Amino acid sequence: MKRYMIAMLFIFGIFISSCDEIFEYSPYVIDFEDDEQNLTQKNISKLLSTKAPDTLVIALTGDSHRFYDEAEKLVNTLNQNFEIDFLIHTGDFADYGIPKQYQWSNSIFSKLHAPYFVVIGNHDLVSNGEDGYNEMFGNPNFSFIYHSIKFIFINTNSREYEFNGRVPDLNWLQNEINPGDEFEKVILVFHAPPFDADFDSDLEGDFMNILHSSDNVLFATHGHLHSFNFSEPYSDGIPFLNTASAEKNEFVLVKIYNNEFTFNVVSF
Amino acid sequence: MLSVFKHMISKRNVLIILLSVMVFNTYGKMNSFSDNKKLTWIKAIYPDHYKIQFAGGIGFVSGGLGYDFFKERVDITYFYGYVPEWYSKEDLHSVSLQLSGKPFRIELNNKLEYYPLNIGIFLHHTFGSEYYITLPDHYPEDYYWWSPGRTGGLFLEGQLNYQFKEPDHVFSEIGFYYRIVTRGVYLTSKISNTSIPIEDIFSLGLGIVIYY
Repeated sequence: MKRYMIAMLFIFGIFISSCDEIFEYSPYVIDFEDDEQNLTQKNISKLLSTKAPDTLVIALTGDSHRFYDEAEKLVNTLNQNFEIDFLIHTGDFADYGIPKQYQWSNSIFSKLHAPYFVVIGNHDLVSNGEDGYNEMFGNPNFSFIYHSIKFIFINTNSREYEFNGRVPDLNWLQNEINPGDEFEKVILVFHAPPFDADFDSDLEGDFMNILHSSDNVLFATHGHLHSFNFSEPYSDGIPFLNTASAEKNEFVLVKIYNNEFTFNVVSF
Repeated sequence: MLSVFKHMISKRNVLIILLSVMVFNTYGKMNSFSDNKKLTWIKAIYPDHYKIQFAGGIGFVSGGLGYDFFKERVDITYFYGYVPEWYSKEDLHSVSLQLSGKPFRIELNNKLEYYPLNIGIFLHHTFGSEYYITLPDHYPEDYYWWSPGRTGGLFLEGQLNYQFKEPDHVFSEIGFYYRIVTRGVYLTSKISNTSIPIEDIFSLGLGIVIYY
């Protein structure tokens, strides 16, 4: 019988030594490592430490949900075959806002050689997902200027806040988008587009008015609908680019030169 | 009806019930008032065992009570679990209901018995409006199939019991168990994604069980 006990202890020992975090207290415990925290600011610092090139190259993806294998393939493809300045993820990074889903997705995107920026999606907000996002990335609304372009990331998932009238934060957007000396154009990034039922319909008109009055939006890019689409939904000169979900084995490669942009959809 | 149930399973009520049953049971055993025929129905609803568990996905520390069936081969335990604030961003209170089977039993000697491989399933509910079970009204029907307030999983367990042979001992047995736990959401993610490391979907729980 002693042999049983020794064998069990041995198996037990192997199990303990093979796991990073062997004890889980709840699926909702947020206990991220240092390299899983404050990532928006870290990626902005990483990006701004490089000199802006003549032609800016950005990869767009989104809605990765639980398509971890496809996301990994995307990251490998970008690392091996493309020279990008950074990647934009248009949200739904963690399928049900669960800390482990944040960690799994991040373990894949953190392998990208280039910086990556994630806007918050409705799925990222389920359960205590907003705390998870705050811990991993920082504030859901953020912006940075690179290549004379201001990139504005804004939380538009109104339904997750029961359409309380404060999401998207229009005052914040107005302040960010007001033309300034440091940038010539704006690229707006959000998850749910203003024409979607998950976007607060009471704020749709004001949201678009802000974009019109600033008159500097090069294009808006969003996710949520999973399929690639390029259109001008309000026939107002502001193009909307819906990124392809990673599950479609596609991403969008955008090139910006002299305040004009071109793009192509790349299969991987 | 559902709202009544929700009200009943408030954090405080669950804690009070759990604590009072434990005190009541111990008191009953000590005073042998279970011999009184009028109180046999109370005896019948006494839990057969109490558990205290560390980790295992249901709390930093969890206290449970439960029943044994088929000569301790089937175990049903109801746990209350707690994660303190200093460990996560907020403190978490939860309950879980567990069912396990113990197909193998090895008698090590006349006092020690070893269950090498118990197999169990559990349901887990975390308290708080963000961990809803039914989709709140501000969503269209079937917007999310996922209920953050209703998770569950599987575990494999090993258990070592020590039997007190003295007839007047308060406990009849005390056991130590360890379990390897996975959750449904982790398991399905692993099944559809080879990129997830296998060790990421498992975690460990340790516990002590007292049998009356």
